[in-house]
Amino acid sequence: MRLAALAAVAAMGLCGCATEGMIIHRMPAETPAADNAAAIQRAASLSAAKEAADRAQAAAEARGEAPAPPLTPADAPPPKTYDPWEPLNRFSYRFNARFDETIFLPLSNGYRRVPSPVRSCVHNFFANLAEVDTVINYTLQGRLGRGVRALGRFAINSTVGIGGLFDFATKLRLEDAPTGFGTTLSKWGMHPGPYLVIPILGPSTLREAVGLLGDYGTSYEVNLANLYRGNVSWALWPLNAVDQRSNISFRYYSTGSPFEYETIRFLYVRKLLLEDEGLHKKSPRKPRAPDLPAGQ
Amino acid sequence: MTNWLIAAAALAVLAPAVFADQLADQVIAPPAAPGPATGLADSAALRATVYGTPPQDIAPMPAKVPLVEINMRMPWARPVPDVFWFDRDLRVWFSAQDKPAPLVIVISGTGGDGNTTVLSTLRGALYGAGYHVLTMPSPTFPGFIVSASTTGVAGDLDQDGRDLYAAMQRIVAHLPRRVRITDIDILGYSLGGANAGVVKSIDATQHRLKIHRAVMIEPPVSLFASVGRLDRLFATSIGSGDVDVERLYQKLYAQLANLYRASDRVRVDENFLLTAAAAVLNSDSQFSAAIALTFRIDLMNMFFAGDLYAGTGVVVDPEHPPKVGDSLERTQQILRGKPFSEYFTKVFAPYYLKRRPYSTPESLIAENRLDIIADALRNNPDYYVQTNSDDLILDKAELAWLENTLGPKIAVYDHGGHLGNIGERRQIADMLDMLAGRWQGVVPGAAP
Repeated sequence: MRLAALAAVAAMGLCGCATEGMIIHRMPAETPAADNAAAIQRAASLSAAKEAADRAQAAAEARGEAPAPPLTPADAPPPKTYDPWEPLNRFSYRFNARFDETIFLPLSNGYRRVPSPVRSCVHNFFANLAEVDTVINYTLQGRLGRGVRALGRFAINSTVGIGGLFDFATKLRLEDAPTGFGTTLSKWGMHPGPYLVIPILGPSTLREAVGLLGDYGTSYEVNLANLYRGNVSWALWPLNAVDQRSNISFRYYSTGSPFEYETIRFLYVRKLLLEDEGLHKKSPRKPRAPDLPAGQ
Repeated sequence: MTNWLIAAAALAVLAPAVFADQLADQVIAPPAAPGPATGLADSAALRATVYGTPPQDIAPMPAKVPLVEINMRMPWARPVPDVFWFDRDLRVWFSAQDKPAPLVIVISGTGGDGNTTVLSTLRGALYGAGYHVLTMPSPTFPGFIVSASTTGVAGDLDQDGRDLYAAMQRIVAHLPRRVRITDIDILGYSLGGANAGVVKSIDATQHRLKIHRAVMIEPPVSLFASVGRLDRLFATSIGSGDVDVERLYQKLYAQLANLYRASDRVRVDENFLLTAAAAVLNSDSQFSAAIALTFRIDLMNMFFAGDLYAGTGVVVDPEHPPKVGDSLERTQQILRGKPFSEYFTKVFAPYYLKRRPYSTPESLIAENRLDIIADALRNNPDYYVQTNSDDLILDKAELAWLENTLGPKIAVYDHGGHLGNIGERRQIADMLDMLAGRWQGVVPGAAP
């Protein structure tokens, strides 16, 4: 059974064929008509969301709830990023690029030929499993309202949504808002720490890596429906990974640029720092020494 | 161009670059400062250039377009430098009809790979109209420079045209047999438009592909004048030095942080960035900065590759080229502050002057104007141009030159800036008519 599944997966991956020095990779077909319709819809929903946010902000200001003092350009972290393990990280980055090109991407491209309702069920299923970590971590972060919402999502999707295969909660305006132990550590005051490229998984920092371990440990301890320690646990990780990869459009070295490592590192750590600013908006942290590289 | 934010942040990287070598002797004069383009003072043109065609204005598209990625090694490629290990193969994308059909080869704009958003839009329209579609990177894209350039120094119209032409022949010859091609046309946007015209004129003497028609979408007329305008845009909207770039980064970070705090989101994701872009990007100076930054990022890659291959030693020590795993942070910092004029004076001109006897910097500039194919553009009925009266890369004289030279074979739209109307119903309909040879010229009073 296990071998057959692996063989099927390998067959999906081996979709490239070579003729006379020309290597041809079959890519998922493009769907421009549907993409364009989705873009129109998204533009409408984004502008609606923006109006709602503006109204909420105006209402909060009317009630006299002044938001935290706004950040000024002087508060921006330095452009340099804390990367004490750079040689090792660069090695991992190259390894990841090769692994992605030869194994991960062909697998996820093959997977994208599975009908999209099936893929969406798989995606919802994993998102629902992650809801356990979300509930626990919102509680640890002291954000109980969000924790209760996540618990509600989990209850609805696990029952009405048939074990998490369907996301009914979103239809009831309980939108997915995942969090994890990395965010909890940030809420507790930890900085991102050294930049870290994790083999296969990609860009991270020490804090986020600890967060990932914590999340996996929690799932393993909770062991929902015996999925993490039972007979199918061996299939869980790869399927989850392929599902996640197929939803990310990033392609290693599609920029063709020799500066890609630097660029990704810069953007990834700025994204984390922006999220940290959001977490600490009510209790601004002490200013950092300006000569410390970002993340330290 | 919503990924401008990523581009902006990417460029704003890290500590101040040092301009020590700015005092270095500038033996070769940079191209003369060009006249301003009309679109640079036009808010609508800038906005269209940044945001692109609104999705509701896009021409009808097919439901499904099959796609394969083709990786191919070009036998004439120069040895691959360590730092470019990932660019060994030329990457192009191909969509095949399952019946005999004409093939359109589409060339990307400056610094673009063979699968940009614009290419994807054109691919959809062309495939929907029954063509096989082959999309190629720009000869200024690092992946092309490394895998398919005979020189490594990109930016010369004729040389880039020859490299492109050779790569096209090799790819077309090796396409699977079940792909039956009845005719070949060529198309390109921005710099790719100029490349397309030059490739067709090379083919007219060599007859290896028998390219039928060429449609050049929003091409530059003088390469160096157009990029000179973008250099100047950078100087006026961002500044000349690295301190200005860092200031832009700090401003952008603070703006994003405040927007993110005000939002109710738990992640900085694509939806947040799209909403933020609309809030951050809404004035002429911000549009200008975004356009100038995007171009500078492409230039940095081309500059680095050219300097490495030509051994000119501006940022890469020719004796000790960087190896796999070396940090390029410092190099990136320095390049961030370098305009195109410096690429011309320190890499491009020294390289080509040495290899082309009797040439001068002035002759190199002159050879990089569409004048080199002016006769064909004027007399051959198979060349077409689509452009905009508010294009940022053209001035009035250049637009007039195009109109005079092309005569009835040019469509000039009154909006769109640079590439801000690609995919629009009218642009696509005209483009397909041009490719099919049934374009009747601008019909007065026709509905857009």
